[in-house]
Amino acid sequence: MSDFEPKIVAFFCNWCTYGAADLAGVSRLDYPPNFRVVRLPCTGRLNPKFIMEAFKRGADGVWISGCHPGDCHYIAGNYHARRKFVLMHQLLESIGVDPNRLRFSWISSAEANKFQAMARDVVEHVKACGPNTTFRKEDLKLGLAEVA
Amino acid sequence: MPEYLVKESGLKEFFQSLANGRHLLTPQGTGDKCKLEEAGPDKVNLDYSNTHMSPKSAFFPQSENLMAFHNKSDKPNPFVYQDLGDKAQPTVIFGIRPCDARGLSISNRVFQNDRFTDPYWKGKYEQTIKIGLACASPSPQCFCAAMGGSPYGELGLDVLAFKVEGGLGLKPVTAQGEELIKQTNAAQEDLAQEIKKQEAKAIEAQGVGTDLKPIDDKDLMELFQDPHWTATAENCLNCGVCTFFCPTCHCFDIQDEQSEQGGIRMRNWDTCMSWLFTVHGTGHNPRPSKTERVRQRFMHKLKYIPLKQDGIRGCTGCGRCVVMCPVNIDIREVALKMCQPPAQSQA
Amino acid sequence: MPALSDINSKIRESARKLLADGRAEVVIGYRQGTVPMTTSPMFARKPAECDQLIWSNFARINLANYLPGRPGKVALVAKGCDARSAVGQVTENQILKDNLYIIGVPCTGMIDTNLVLAKETRPIKELVETTDEAITVKGEGFSTEINKADVLRRNCQTCANRTPKLADELIGPETPGANPDDFADIKALLNKTPDERMAYFKDLIKDCLRCYACRNACPLCYCPICFVDETRPQWLGKSTDPMDTLTFHILRGLHCSGRCTSCGACETACPVNIKVREFNRVTELTVQNNWHYEAGQSWDQKPPLTMFQTDDQADFIK
Repeated sequence: MSDFEPKIVAFFCNWCTYGAADLAGVSRLDYPPNFRVVRLPCTGRLNPKFIMEAFKRGADGVWISGCHPGDCHYIAGNYHARRKFVLMHQLLESIGVDPNRLRFSWISSAEANKFQAMARDVVEHVKACGPNTTFRKEDLKLGLAEVA
Repeated sequence: MPEYLVKESGLKEFFQSLANGRHLLTPQGTGDKCKLEEAGPDKVNLDYSNTHMSPKSAFFPQSENLMAFHNKSDKPNPFVYQDLGDKAQPTVIFGIRPCDARGLSISNRVFQNDRFTDPYWKGKYEQTIKIGLACASPSPQCFCAAMGGSPYGELGLDVLAFKVEGGLGLKPVTAQGEELIKQTNAAQEDLAQEIKKQEAKAIEAQGVGTDLKPIDDKDLMELFQDPHWTATAENCLNCGVCTFFCPTCHCFDIQDEQSEQGGIRMRNWDTCMSWLFTVHGTGHNPRPSKTERVRQRFMHKLKYIPLKQDGIRGCTGCGRCVVMCPVNIDIREVALKMCQPPAQSQA
Repeated sequence: MPALSDINSKIRESARKLLADGRAEVVIGYRQGTVPMTTSPMFARKPAECDQLIWSNFARINLANYLPGRPGKVALVAKGCDARSAVGQVTENQILKDNLYIIGVPCTGMIDTNLVLAKETRPIKELVETTDEAITVKGEGFSTEINKADVLRRNCQTCANRTPKLADELIGPETPGANPDDFADIKALLNKTPDERMAYFKDLIKDCLRCYACRNACPLCYCPICFVDETRPQWLGKSTDPMDTLTFHILRGLHCSGRCTSCGACETACPVNIKVREFNRVTELTVQNNWHYEAGQSWDQKPPLTMFQTDDQADFIK
């Protein structure tokens, strides 16, 4: 499984982690390219169905990152988000989703180094989990002989 | 057609010959676990009130793939929807209750008529021989007789089976059914009087049904505009339980799903109880509240289907919706309200 | 052990008075169902209609479900859990407190029909219930008495608050609660391996028909458009694909978190007997552990997901 390259969906807050990703880029900090970023105005915008949609469509991991508590551009968005994260994290873990597939972090736009380290950490852990085979929609059974 | 008899000692052989070269589906389990399954000819359960769900899913599954395409450019016909064809196989279903068989015949006229033929339904329906098992002992929720059926009804069946002392009586209804019976160890026997006797007893046990003729006589718009609908619908939760369990509900929703390999067009059961069922692309919904949705269900069962199908009611009296409904909306009570003159039904 | 007929007459008396005084325009209660072991919601608007109101060991559907957005003054016949749901709806601004009158019935738990059917497998044609402690079911050639304690619903077995304490009036004396839900089974489940847990939850919902009776019977589910009915974009496939079904149950569990009063209406409504509440119980356990909150216990508490503390703990966020 060493050549497994996971697909990870990342949800970043526009004001912090997205900025950190930019800063990491312009600082020429090297990080793995396995995640596709969805930019959110705030982690408070994250609806649990986004996470489910990503997994359902076969994402191997989901990474959610926003401003440090207290630094929210909208004053309290991430405080509210934090309570939701606790529930999502706990429920999905209880259902048997490997917690390494669903990662959360607070990264400010100045923390390019933390972004780099976290990106590496997330990808490494998802790689260790292997491909997501159980928590996704199964491939459609097309039933066309020539595709089988 | 003459009746046939299988002696109790010959039942095993009888079911073996039914299963010969065909899939044999029989009711398995009791109570709410009872469902039609292929369990082999040696495991046939004659002691059940009715299957938990109606047998419609044997012909009209909850989800059915209709067409598919693939996206492999190096293979023939990429991105072209192809019919997934009909994979129906010769089947015998034993133990359909007469109410459910009646339901199948009603759905059959929706899926196959002089205007449309649904190939997916047709393939399965025509390759299946339907053997009913008459109800000698009706449940409290049963009211097939009130809806124009009978616990010994034959509509929709190829053969009607009924328990008799020391064996199983069989009454062929169609030529296809008689053909099948002749291939078995069943021997001819005159049981016409026995059926009549049992049927009268079973109908009596069900109690006197309501006379629903006023619904047939009333004008459609009069029924539609009757003020009782708001009160009738007030209880309703608008879940889809009644429609999913109903032997005659046949509405579906066509959906396309795609994956990295291609896509599928499927149809799934839908329910008129759902807000989504009628909402338009514009956002307008002609049935905006549960009153309209509840009215639709009962009007469809008791007025629209009879108008389209020569007076045969769209409810067969199986009683599933009565028991399954979380708030016990009883179609018999609704039918009574529909029978009332408008002034009285307002209360 | 009050006789049901006593409770019935007290409910009717109260309902008549509320309607006559104009304290309520409608009394939402239960009436006898048309087949054994069922009840049906009843909307009494005239004093004469109050005679149909009953109490039963099968008054399982949560009538608070009919409150959200209801205009005018309304009285609700409520068990402990139903009253908590109604209080929750007041705190969620779904109905004005001034418009609500709760006729609280101290409850002794409700019966799970499936457990009755498991005990008495012969076809049941008649039910006799005179007290709230036992029932008698009858059929052809048998009459079986069943002790209610043996056939209580799962949620009623672990209900610590059977008396609707915040009700405007109580019908009869307070009833003692059972052993509170200690979530022992959920905790045991969480000790299993992730694969076992995934298999457990997938198996739990394998019969789901996606009829959404659980959602519609739930007093918490009052969104004008549910996420399963959204089409632009469409979040869930319409087939019974296991992952689509699991997604529905997970998201429903999350939506109800911190709000569920364990009334069990979802499990009662489920036509294929799925333990729907299992998802809710995981989230309730999380809510109680983290924010020490139980829904519907007071008029002025704020639902945990509408508020926060700056020092909320979430160590898993790096």
